[in-house]
Amino acid sequence: MSKRAITLTVNGTDHPVQVGVTERLIDVLRDHLDQKSAKEGCSTGDCGICAVIVDGKLVNSCLMLAAQCDGRRVTTLEGLLEDPIMKRMQGSFIANNAAQCGFCTPAMLMASWDLVRHSAQPTDEEIKVAISGILCRCTGYYQIIDSVREGCKRGGR
Amino acid sequence: MSEQVSQLLNSLRAKAERGELLYIGENVVRVDSLEKVLGSPVYTADLLPKGTVYAKLFHSSVPHGVVKRMELGAARSHPGVLGVLTSTDIPGLNESSAVLLDRQLFADPVVRSTGDILGAVVAETSPAAADATARIKVEYEKLPTIFDPLEALEPDAVKIHQKGNVARQMKIRKGNVEEGFAKSDVIIEKTYRTQFQDAVPLEPEVGLAIPEDGGVRVIGSMQSPHNTQAAVAKVLKLSPEKVRVIQAVTGGAFGPKSDETPYDVCSTAALAAVKFRRPVYCAMDREDSMVMHTKRHPFVISHKTGVRRDGTLLADESKIIGDTGAYASLGVFVIARATFHTVGAYEVPNVKADSYLVYTNNTYTGSLRGFGGPQAIFAFESQMEELARKLQMDPLEFRLRNMLVPGKKSATSAVMDASCGLPQCVEKVVGSSRYREKAARYRNQTGTVRRGLGIALLMHGNSLGPEGNDYGAVHIEVHSDGSVSVGSGLTEYGTGAISGVMQVASSVLGVPLTRFKLERPDTSKHRESGPTVASRVVVIGGNASKLAAEKLKGKIVPLAAEMLRIDAKDVAIADGIAFDRTHTSRKVEWDEVVAEAFRRGISLKEEGFFIAPPAPWDQEVGQGTPYVQYTWGALVVEVEVDSETGFYKVLGAHAAYDVGKAVNPGGVLGQIYGGTVQGLGYAMMEELLHKDGFVVNPNLGDYYIPTSMDIPAEFKAFIVEVPGPLGPFGAKIIAEPPIVLPGPAVRNAVLNATGVSVDDLPVTSEKVLMGMRQETAAHPH
Repeated sequence: MSKRAITLTVNGTDHPVQVGVTERLIDVLRDHLDQKSAKEGCSTGDCGICAVIVDGKLVNSCLMLAAQCDGRRVTTLEGLLEDPIMKRMQGSFIANNAAQCGFCTPAMLMASWDLVRHSAQPTDEEIKVAISGILCRCTGYYQIIDSVREGCKRGGR
Repeated sequence: MSEQVSQLLNSLRAKAERGELLYIGENVVRVDSLEKVLGSPVYTADLLPKGTVYAKLFHSSVPHGVVKRMELGAARSHPGVLGVLTSTDIPGLNESSAVLLDRQLFADPVVRSTGDILGAVVAETSPAAADATARIKVEYEKLPTIFDPLEALEPDAVKIHQKGNVARQMKIRKGNVEEGFAKSDVIIEKTYRTQFQDAVPLEPEVGLAIPEDGGVRVIGSMQSPHNTQAAVAKVLKLSPEKVRVIQAVTGGAFGPKSDETPYDVCSTAALAAVKFRRPVYCAMDREDSMVMHTKRHPFVISHKTGVRRDGTLLADESKIIGDTGAYASLGVFVIARATFHTVGAYEVPNVKADSYLVYTNNTYTGSLRGFGGPQAIFAFESQMEELARKLQMDPLEFRLRNMLVPGKKSATSAVMDASCGLPQCVEKVVGSSRYREKAARYRNQTGTVRRGLGIALLMHGNSLGPEGNDYGAVHIEVHSDGSVSVGSGLTEYGTGAISGVMQVASSVLGVPLTRFKLERPDTSKHRESGPTVASRVVVIGGNASKLAAEKLKGKIVPLAAEMLRIDAKDVAIADGIAFDRTHTSRKVEWDEVVAEAFRRGISLKEEGFFIAPPAPWDQEVGQGTPYVQYTWGALVVEVEVDSETGFYKVLGAHAAYDVGKAVNPGGVLGQIYGGTVQGLGYAMMEELLHKDGFVVNPNLGDYYIPTSMDIPAEFKAFIVEVPGPLGPFGAKIIAEPPIVLPGPAVRNAVLNATGVSVDDLPVTSEKVLMGMRQETAAHPH
């Protein structure tokens, strides 16, 4: 497999990496850069649990080639662990029992964080739309929606 | 200390002083929440050591046949490939079966479904393994096929297994149905059908094996590590002690991960690990999983039901046929649970049921949340609605007249005791949904957009049923720093059940859950506790946990008494402080008591073992007490149907479940919400389609499960607590039951809105539209 040298800016740090031309962003994040929060659930972009943020946009990391991300900024949950909005959201997820098996939780948190950046006090409908690209099979979504609503309220911005 | 905390402490101490329950019934933080919101690397795929290689399974491309030749050369010489494993590489038994031993790990030479695994390619990278499997060519001699379970029951049908096509037969004989029908004013005979459902745990089946010490260490996503250990050991021809199985944090399970699929990935990984002396990761991707793992059985259920004009049920005769696909797996118990629940939550004096678990050449089916309940209850609750309409009775009043209450008898003649909380559940949902008012308002609608209510009632037997010893062991260890770890062969896979088990210990010991740590289930450390199925963890494991904690308390209390110089009977412990309940200012920290125990060499490790009491049962006539207690429930849904397109949505859901005692109410609500939404998927959209034995839609683009946009805008969930005799503090099970009722409730709501009876799940808009067109054709205006 032919390789290509690229630079990924992941959570603020530049990583020069050699990637195969068919390697996906999720592979490079998980296998080369030890960012395990993005999960693989379908490999076809349907479940959304591999969500990360690339240049400010929430994307499915199983649908992007790593080579496409050369020179771009990638944010994963690992990079937001000290972020005040994310911490509030995590606390709210815990308090509202929003993580059952936890496999979709990182992606749900990324989508929620992304939502709050754009809309500080989202309606329930906005919350549903924001997480609609991510499947959860355990919760039925209600306690996730409660968490996002409360996670936004706490402290405000 | 903040005021809030001191208030909490005071209330805890007051409770402890009075000898009341601590922590139970409080919304506690699950022990495993933090690692999940941090995105910590705790799942199997996150734990691959350096140098791990990848095993990719390949499967049959005919639904029934004999493998004549496998051309493996191209795959073997594919770059990066270490080798190809087939049945000839198995040193032990080529078996991957839970119950009937009818299924091989690598099918040889007969394949009975397109999901039959033939072998695996092992390669340095996952893409190399996948590419190599595409280069394998297999020649088959095709055999005649059967995809319809009714056809498989024909006397001259092709035999899929040597012993015939009926994997299991069950029956119920209660009273005399002929007499019941003779006295009936109205008799309805109808047939209902249900579909294949895929569980879709977001993490598919995966296993990692690492060679070590003349054996192998297996880490995987599973419900039952000890069963997996036995399965792997058999394949590898190793003593079970040489196979150490550890359950990694598991990304959803819902049943298939208690079935045979975890054996497949773990045995394959272990075989390859031993052969190539490398860590091996065997993962199913989504398509593999949807083709090769077990699904929910499609059922064909016929009911003949007789009722007196006043609405009293008199007799029911049912024939229940479950399509188990090519292999039985846990289906032998699924068909049993379906049979015992054949007339649902109602008293019927005369019941006759005959059920058959039937082999076909479809991909196999097995354990899935609800375990036969969703199919049985769909059929009977649909039948109840049809009867009510025929009698021109309100469906609710008809149900109230016949439902099980204390003193009444189930289909198996089990007498309901005082722990039957069904009436309370019904009251909650009827009130919350304003059922009576709305049902009256929605009668005789004529507009384009029509609304309807559907109600369904639940009984769900707790524990494994009459055929399994229901036991579990829980091990508790207090460490020198006062922290407490809990371990068990029973597993956590998302529901929070193990947190509940720990909450029980926390309550008994008076030490908050924040001091507790969960040990990963590990066959080298924890006692075999049976399979983690049937939502039994809080009930069975909770009792074991209580016993272990009580033993520990028996050591801690005398020591604390000695340190406080008081009588042991005056010692209370709350929030990690032991104190004199007569002089609460006299106290000693839990940690100090533990430190003293360590100084004196007192062991603070205990194990609790609990086994459910046996119940009288006659298998010949299906009569007796199959379950020690029941979970009860009721669901009302409201739908709005566009009569021009058939499109409908569920506007509201009102659910109440009698869980005996909610150990962690937030967790119980999570099960009600999650199970109901999974059940709404089953009711409205989910169907794993088979065509000539091939799965047509094995991906999440073509197999729809509910998203956040599909859930009812209004959802009211209620916890009812009528203590049961089996669980700790009266707890009953809750993880499975909420998936059962949405099927019939949605179906009945659509019927009440449109007059259209959809008798085969899922209730799609297309079926509703077709039904309305037929209605219009039959009764033109």
